[in-house]
Amino acid sequence: MTDFEDQLRRALERKDPSADFAARVMARATQPKKPLAWGNWRSWTAVGIAASLCLGAVSLELEHRRKVEQEGQAARTQLIQAMHITSAKLRRIHKRVQGSL
Amino acid sequence: MIGSLAQEVGIPQAVAEADRSRAFEAAVREHQAMVFSVAYHFLQDHAVAEELAQEVFLELYRHWDEIESREHRIHWLRKVASRRCIDQSRRRKLRNHLSLEEAPEPFTWMPATDPLLKRYIEQLLGKLAETPRLVMIMRYQEGLEPAEIADVLDMPVATVKSHLQRSLALLRRKLSFAAREGEA
Repeated sequence: MTDFEDQLRRALERKDPSADFAARVMARATQPKKPLAWGNWRSWTAVGIAASLCLGAVSLELEHRRKVEQEGQAARTQLIQAMHITSAKLRRIHKRVQGSL
Repeated sequence: MIGSLAQEVGIPQAVAEADRSRAFEAAVREHQAMVFSVAYHFLQDHAVAEELAQEVFLELYRHWDEIESREHRIHWLRKVASRRCIDQSRRRKLRNHLSLEEAPEPFTWMPATDPLLKRYIEQLLGKLAETPRLVMIMRYQEGLEPAEIADVLDMPVATVKSHLQRSLALLRRKLSFAAREGEA
């Protein structure tokens, strides 16, 4: 161990914390666990925010699904209508062809 | 007192709890200087170091039943204190903005016994990066061998040795520069 290392060792000697350190640790360690109290507004605010976020996410998802469903329904209606029109035209053409023969 | 009272009325669980509390308090008193000093030398802030040391002991209390022996407890405390020091440092961005290379030199050289020198060395250590700082604390505060440090900090022995060599060289350079400046 060199002189320099001795200096380091002296500089890094263990120090004691405050005199009441152990008592404070014991007080914190042995205090009964507090249940989530009504009066604990911070906890309830956090729960409220979390619940709002969940609700928001669920309603966004539901809204998205409803929109996709509506669009699908509209597309289906348009397709059926287009098929009706095409079918009517084809019938008319068929009649004309029959008439000309 | 609570233990003996509980024993008299025959409440084994309360007795066990009281024994546990007594043993835990004895452990706190035995190891408080070690845990606090690791935190203090690392963070260089008395209040934050005390808070961190308290948290380490509270974690020990929660894991009390898993601790097998005194040696295991010491190893566990060093490990958890080191981990929490790094977490705390990252959270609070306590890492000084100045690197050790950029740290200012003292105006005059001080004799080895001067408490100011001790303080200066502490400050230089505080400028080291997190891992080498912890390695130096484990080596010179706790007096651990490189293999033991590697075990506590979960790193290869070669890395520990490399950190030690580089940090020592850097600190030595800083201090000898300060000494030359003081003599000039």
